[in-house]
Amino acid sequence: MNWPDLSMGGYGFYVWGSYIFALVLIIWEVVSLKQRKRTLRQQQHAQRSSSVSPSVLTGSANETTS
Amino acid sequence: MNLYKYASPTSFYPLAGKLIPWFAIPSAILFAVGMYVGFFIAPTDFQQGDAYRIIFIHVPAAWMGMFLYVLMAIYAGIGWAFNARLASMMASAIAITGAMFTLLSLVTGALWGKPTWGTYWAWDARMTSTLILLFLYIGFISLQSAIDDTRRADRAGAVLALVGVINVPIIYFSVQWWNTLHQGASIRILGKPTIAAPMLAAMLIILAACWLYSVAVVLMRLRCIILEREQNASRFAEVNA
Repeated sequence: MNWPDLSMGGYGFYVWGSYIFALVLIIWEVVSLKQRKRTLRQQQHAQRSSSVSPSVLTGSANETTS
Repeated sequence: MNLYKYASPTSFYPLAGKLIPWFAIPSAILFAVGMYVGFFIAPTDFQQGDAYRIIFIHVPAAWMGMFLYVLMAIYAGIGWAFNARLASMMASAIAITGAMFTLLSLVTGALWGKPTWGTYWAWDARMTSTLILLFLYIGFISLQSAIDDTRRADRAGAVLALVGVINVPIIYFSVQWWNTLHQGASIRILGKPTIAAPMLAAMLIILAACWLYSVAVVLMRLRCIILEREQNASRFAEVNA
């Protein structure tokens, strides 16, 4: 196995810059989705304890339209 | 098994949750394999040196931006025509991921353009039409978030998405129709690809990884959207009780 030249023949900034940008976008997307989900779970928890509301998690579908 | 059962957001929610790891894990593996092939096996290009290695992320990102736009428009159209709520939610879930890939293709393109063409940006047909694609995504996302009534938001989004589809063939054929700085296609549907086998392999493996990644994050976002709309609906029901 040959290690690639990390300086990319002088193009390191452009090549690694591209992949780092891709990585940043992926991390941002996954982390923000996890946060969004957590917030929703918390809200749902609060809502459920305050009133009897239909929830998707219990699967009690009160809506049958597609 | 009754497939129609899953047309309802409520029953699709747990299914989507089960599907996510089946896409996320293979995606991570393929990203790693693709990077290995791209950086350890593919040789240095005799013209562009190592700068060409940006292709392994640039081309898949550009394709995903276009594919996801078409997919988003199809789902938005189905949601609009058949009043299928899950399809409309799917369209909204795709938009951000599609916009992200389009942004990635523009940024990696700029980073590739600087060393090879001497400029980060040119108002070239392909770049301009790709920038318009990004604006269409942003327009779709902001239009939907600006309208409170979800049904109307879905309908307005669908109109924008469907009208914007015309831009996708323009991007695709722009390198043939106009004199452009951007190089022609490396892969043709008919005929041989114009790049070496390991380069092509790395690009296709990363493309597959991007697809799997997109499915995983779109399903994650779809679950959030289902929960959000469900909450709004129940809050609405309480207010009107």
